Amino acid sequence: MHTSEKCDITVIGAGLLGCFVARSLREYNLSVRVLEAREDVCTGISKANTAIVYTGIDNKPGSLKSELCVRANEGFDSLCTDLGVPFSRCGSLMAVFGPKGEKALIKKYNQGVENGVRGIKLLSAEETHSMEPGLSSEVTASLFVPGTGTVNPWLLCIAAYENASDNGAEFLFNNRVIQMERVNGGFRLVTEDNEFFSRAVVNCAGLFADTVRELTEKPLVRIFRTGADYFVLDKKAEGGVSHIIFHEPEIGKKGLTLVPTTEGNILVGPSDRAASEYPDEADVNGLVQLEKQCKEVVPKLEINKKIRCFAGSRPNTVLVKPEGRRYIKTDNKIPDFSIFEEAGLFSLIGIKTPGLTCAHELSRYLSAHIADYLCCSEINPEFNPVRKPIIKTSELTLEEWKKLVQCNKAYGQIICTCGKITEGEIVGAIRRGAATVNGVKRRVGSGMGCCQGSRCTQRIAEIIARELSIEVNEVTMDGRNSYIMRGGVSCEV
Amino acid sequence: MKYDILIVGGGAAGMAAAIKSSERGASVLLAERDLELGGVLKQCIHNGFGLTYFHEDISGTEYADRFRRAIADKSIEIMTEANVVSICENRTAVIATKSGIFEVSFDFCIMATGCREKSIGSELIGGTRPAGVYTAGEAQKMINLNHYDLGDNFVILGSGNVGQVMARRLKILGKNVAAMIEQNNSLGGMTKNRQDCIEAYNIPVRLNSTVDMIYGEGHVTAVRVKHLDSGDTEIIKCDALITALGLIPDRVLAEELEINGNYLDWLYFCGNCESVHDIVDAVTIQAERLASEICDLTEDKLNA
Repeated sequence: MHTSEKCDITVIGAGLLGCFVARSLREYNLSVRVLEAREDVCTGISKANTAIVYTGIDNKPGSLKSELCVRANEGFDSLCTDLGVPFSRCGSLMAVFGPKGEKALIKKYNQGVENGVRGIKLLSAEETHSMEPGLSSEVTASLFVPGTGTVNPWLLCIAAYENASDNGAEFLFNNRVIQMERVNGGFRLVTEDNEFFSRAVVNCAGLFADTVRELTEKPLVRIFRTGADYFVLDKKAEGGVSHIIFHEPEIGKKGLTLVPTTEGNILVGPSDRAASEYPDEADVNGLVQLEKQCKEVVPKLEINKKIRCFAGSRPNTVLVKPEGRRYIKTDNKIPDFSIFEEAGLFSLIGIKTPGLTCAHELSRYLSAHIADYLCCSEINPEFNPVRKPIIKTSELTLEEWKKLVQCNKAYGQIICTCGKITEGEIVGAIRRGAATVNGVKRRVGSGMGCCQGSRCTQRIAEIIARELSIEVNEVTMDGRNSYIMRGGVSCEV
Repeated sequence: MKYDILIVGGGAAGMAAAIKSSERGASVLLAERDLELGGVLKQCIHNGFGLTYFHEDISGTEYADRFRRAIADKSIEIMTEANVVSICENRTAVIATKSGIFEVSFDFCIMATGCREKSIGSELIGGTRPAGVYTAGEAQKMINLNHYDLGDNFVILGSGNVGQVMARRLKILGKNVAAMIEQNNSLGGMTKNRQDCIEAYNIPVRLNSTVDMIYGEGHVTAVRVKHLDSGDTEIIKCDALITALGLIPDRVLAEELEINGNYLDWLYFCGNCESVHDIVDAVTIQAERLASEICDLTEDKLNA
């Protein structure tokens, strides 16, 4: 077993929160090491969500959520500029179909005003339809929230990782924490091949954050996930929307959400259902339900132009109490963001909506607190918040592209024809840490067009193998045993 | 650079159009995104090609080779590993290659970009999104051209021609094809393929059925087949799922030039991007005819 040098803080998990926490901690003179179980960042719960940057109108006034969300939303343009991530402040309409919904609208409006959210406006049916002609004629009113936006959660997470890493945070992949104990002056953490020591630990283990916490602490809170299905439409699908639409149904609880993504697709979802066996396992009934709701809310939307169905999870947290030798659920759910702090162990458990919006602000809030705890509030003078994005040839002028190909011919070779993504961009993604075909996809958007990778997966796998000096049969779609082709040849040549 | 005709795509249609245009004296640029000309024919190592055009039963590979040889004798400019990334209203195109980004202009443009396959994402299917799911054409390329091994036990969803040919190919390679699943009450594709590929190899078929769940964490391990009338389900183990859900003419490049369903009068489609043809001979004949018509127009212009 290899022992690494002791650091100030170990962050467990390199999802959205882990990456942002590592980045924020490096704003102080603190040494940070991130241990990630998988081969890349953004492989867990961070990878599948509704991609919305909320304004804070949905959160209870006075809560930590509302405070952070309002602040996060206002600062989102500047965060994304620093991190080189596209952000679209497209605005949202909460559309309702009758008196029940209208009541909910007023409540949201008042809550938004109380939280200090700017520019929100109640709209009549006519005003609503002039803004979104594709909405059902049955819509009776809406709430316009100009500050709502959308960001690609993969890119945001990857950008935070790269910037944290550039600022000196050490990221170790394929290091699943299997043992953690308190030792003199801090913690000892054990992964399969390594042991690590640090003064404090931040537990950002996503769906496993409760289990990780219980490596040293008594059970107190557990995650009970529920499932959420989504589908994505081809960019060519007609009848879409240009604002984010939150549908508030008259009957039933969960309405539909439609998001015009930064890539130009329409994202439809989430459904709300019991958990599947696996966190990212889609439920066909949930998908059917989404289609049904689409017909009610946006009747002309071409839902037959689906290119991808997927699922995510909601990490609902419930306090538990001992009963005999077991722990059982109490009635206490945890509505607000809560940080469980236990003598140097800081656990972020069940951070759900608006977790994507607040990842940066929540991390800053927590980091200031941890710096205090470690008596090191000294600012790191070398911290640089700016991250350069991967070159996107499709966004260059013809002259710029020509010059680039003269320097590096790989930028002239298109690999993903749907997205016009070149070998140069793919190699760039691999050099920045993509280890799988989906790792490349999350960085450059390959395989996200109408052919869904059927024309580029093999070539991307071959490029990964070449760049990482591994065999092509060792390349996976998304880690674990998700191999794309097996070793050897298919019997005869 | 200026050409009479730019042809986008060097498969069966593009090659035939290029040869015919060149024979008629037109200057032709043929842009192909792959390393070699031939398109999807290159991976069609089975017979059944050429019966109409050559009056012989030859493989797709041989069919492509004959056109490649014919093209070599003509003064046709060929760019391979060249992606046409945009076509503009002023009759120019931007072509990306490793040796540079080129702008060319032309009088006519023939799109010969073939088809794309419908992906699994277009279906409402539950499950994780494991690896080991391939479109039939993708699997055909990986197996026949690159000799990759994709698994031992296959399920095929959909019953188009490529799916049927792949079923036979897998059997010849000693693989198990656990089932071919078709939503309709009869198999798709041509009668000949049905007899030669499915019946001759005793491929188990499930009609009126679909896959509504894909199992596997990481790699596919099984699919759930749902009978559409009875609602009964059956779990079939497999380590690879091939989809043959249909072909869609690939007109993405030209879509920006479409105005109310009409295209500019210098833009033409041939082969499978014009409409899906059952046999390649028909593609060749259609492409040749189109090229002749365009050359007639060019000559009219010159004579005018």
